[in-house]
Amino acid sequence: MNSETLNTLDSYSKNKYKYGFVTEIDDEKPKKGLNEDTIKFISLKKNEPEWMLDWRLKAYSKWKKMKEPKWANLSFPEIDYQDIYYYSAPKGFEKKPKDLSEVDPKLIETYNKLGIPLEEQKVLAGVAVDVVFDSVSVATTYKGELEKLGIIFCSIGEAIQKHPDLIKKYLGSVIPPGDHSFSALNSAVFTDGSFVYIPEGVKCPIELSTYFRINAENTGQFERTLIIADKGSYVSYLEGCTAPKRDDNQLHAANVELIALEDAEIKYSTVQNWYPGDEDGKGGIYNFVTKRGLCAGKNSKISWTQVETGSAITWKYPSCILKGDNSIGEFYSVAITNNFQQADTGTKMTHIGKNTKSKIISKGISLGKSQNTYRGEVSFLRKADKARNYTQCDSLLVGNQCGAHTVPYIDSKNNTAVIEHEASTSKINEDQLYYCRQRGLSHEEAVSLIVNGFCKQVLQELPMEFAVEAQKLVSISLEGSVG
Amino acid sequence: MNIQDNYLKNKKNIFFSENKDIQTHREKLINIFENDKFDKKNNESLKNINLKNFIDFKYKYLIPEETSVINNNQDNSYSIVSVNGQCSSFKDDKIEITKILDEDYNDFSKNDTIEHNDHFVNLNSLFLNCGFKIVIKKNNNIKIKISNIITDDDLTIFQKNNYICEEGSSLNLIEEYENKNNSTSNVLNVIKLEKNSQLNHFLIQDNSPNHNLIITSHSSCKKDSTFNQKVYNFSEGYVRNFHYSELMETNSEADLQGIFFLKDNNISNNKTFVKHLAEDCKSNQVYKGILNDRSKATYFSNTHVDQAAQKTEGYQLSKGILLSDNASYFSKPELKIYADDVKCSHGSTIGPIDENAIFYLRSRGMSKIAATKILISSFINEELSSIDNEQMSEIIQKKLVRYLSKVK
Repeated sequence: MNSETLNTLDSYSKNKYKYGFVTEIDDEKPKKGLNEDTIKFISLKKNEPEWMLDWRLKAYSKWKKMKEPKWANLSFPEIDYQDIYYYSAPKGFEKKPKDLSEVDPKLIETYNKLGIPLEEQKVLAGVAVDVVFDSVSVATTYKGELEKLGIIFCSIGEAIQKHPDLIKKYLGSVIPPGDHSFSALNSAVFTDGSFVYIPEGVKCPIELSTYFRINAENTGQFERTLIIADKGSYVSYLEGCTAPKRDDNQLHAANVELIALEDAEIKYSTVQNWYPGDEDGKGGIYNFVTKRGLCAGKNSKISWTQVETGSAITWKYPSCILKGDNSIGEFYSVAITNNFQQADTGTKMTHIGKNTKSKIISKGISLGKSQNTYRGEVSFLRKADKARNYTQCDSLLVGNQCGAHTVPYIDSKNNTAVIEHEASTSKINEDQLYYCRQRGLSHEEAVSLIVNGFCKQVLQELPMEFAVEAQKLVSISLEGSVG
Repeated sequence: MNIQDNYLKNKKNIFFSENKDIQTHREKLINIFENDKFDKKNNESLKNINLKNFIDFKYKYLIPEETSVINNNQDNSYSIVSVNGQCSSFKDDKIEITKILDEDYNDFSKNDTIEHNDHFVNLNSLFLNCGFKIVIKKNNNIKIKISNIITDDDLTIFQKNNYICEEGSSLNLIEEYENKNNSTSNVLNVIKLEKNSQLNHFLIQDNSPNHNLIITSHSSCKKDSTFNQKVYNFSEGYVRNFHYSELMETNSEADLQGIFFLKDNNISNNKTFVKHLAEDCKSNQVYKGILNDRSKATYFSNTHVDQAAQKTEGYQLSKGILLSDNASYFSKPELKIYADDVKCSHGSTIGPIDENAIFYLRSRGMSKIAATKILISSFINEELSSIDNEQMSEIIQKKLVRYLSKVK
């Protein structure tokens, strides 16, 4: 996307009266700003029980006393929390394009490169679709199948109504609302997100994704996802989409909690490609995400895989708390930053139980004038006997105006635990480039091939359908800045 | 007593407190302390430190009665005994030793390439009470050995030394810190390497349990110069080794190495920071630590590569061995890179002694302790065998044997 897109969007938003969308939703119009009334309004709209409202208000009172964490290597103007809508802005508040011809052609070009079907393109570009979208029927088919297995997969709002016991027990158990200011903010005002419960011994037959969930086209600004894998179960969850996504909310603060009980395994894959701002660094989404998994039981496993190419600011540290003995935590990440994007991303592996293992593979690619930071903490607590960690983080620099930074924190309090960390930073190997060019590839193709090879270790961890798209996405992200 | 009162009370004993310029600088420093209040939570460099010893201390300094001794031996070697951080003036055609002056203070405090956010360096500037300046004249090849002696108990030494290696000169500097009394030394070495000069800096630290040593160095390297530093820390008291190096001009090199041997309740904080500001420079940072009993250590290494510093090679390595289950080691090897044509890497490992290696040695009939000792010696062998000074090598071997004798 570029400034053209912004202009188009701008002009649409200015024309809002022309189509007469405003009047009918006038009474639902929420007020800007964050206060107890906003939270009560959200809770009321969602028809929540009183204990949920109390929980939100407690989080809010904590948030009021907190300051944003400042340690990340990011610079952005101060966020005005009172200038934000906390209940999803009503339809018609901004005007949507009528059909694809009104959408920025560059965006369409990208969709075509990714091989996205026409109907989906419309949804992604925010075109007002009248036809019932195919995925709904797809979703219902799958829903029946999941119900047969006893799997609960619904929106978090629905779960609060229907499964209050599970919510009461697990919500906020991995990310306490008072953890830091973004988690408190999310706890106070979250409006959307998924809830997954996999019963004992069940292996979820399909890859779960918000895409299959009904009413999930509007991914919220403050998402809250909670996944619980009961004893001996397995689930793979996909989040996000390879296609660039248009979104009018600038601040995103999602919370994702995973809980793996004994012998359970959760695989969580993310592809994030939100609007990164234009070539001059204007606009773009601020993505402040807290993701944390708890390996609560013995022999449990949590694996995070992420491909981060979008957002003006990415602040994201999917972590694992390895509490159960023999539990395993994995983190695979590719972060590509271009133009004026800033990414500060990494992981946190906290080894508590015996024989716990963790593996971190992080690949950062910086282009243009972007700044890309890996920040990761590995800590072995006193009782983590025979724990093991291996960390590898590599950075690739393309162009001489970008920055690549590596900030690992390594803390060992156990003398039987072994920790290994290695990192390297370099530019694209001239010899490899020369070799590829000699075989007839263009400069751009050659770079894309080499970068894809550089990321392969991570991309191969993605589920099949994601992996193919992600490879294309990597190539697209490099476009325009190579050569 | 807070820092400000402490300073005002002892002002008359502190260097340069008459100088207006320096006074304003010190007021600024006091403000920084007042605002920050040594916030441990947001400052990793204060990890594990018992701050009370350093903030709320009783200031005491004695001007030594016995003056320092400077011996000019044959083959360009000098030995200096510095007493309470003081050294008498000396001059010949190769070197010149003088007291530290106001301008040296300003030279450091006004240098913008240096990051002035280190609390202990700021404390040093505030309470400065001794120090000297050594200039190695052009094209000379000099060896200097400095023994640092502190005469009384409970002294607080705030020392600033300047070393200047003029064009084409070479200096082999051995500094010994072996104090047995209950004092605190806060030493700042400001090192300037002119064109084509070289400094090999060895620091041997072996203090008693009640002696605190805080040693910081700031070296700046001009064209074609080389700075090598090796730190051997056998101290039983608290030691803080923070060493910063700035590679200002092309083809300069910095090699910062250190080994520390900790036992009992000992704490050691280490940091190396290399700033690459020009093209074609090389740096290397290697720290190894052995931690026994309830000892704790931190090591921060940092390579900063400026946008102009193309063709940089910067390497870091940190290795730690934990011998006991109560020891803890924290390491943070950081890379900040703003140039694209660079080769930078870091590696960090923490773990126990390799069990397979122990098994191998034991299966050859060695006891477990003997095997452990052999493996510790081999862990640091590379650093020890690279010492080309025979006398020093012997000293260090002896200290190593002493440390190993306590390993069970």
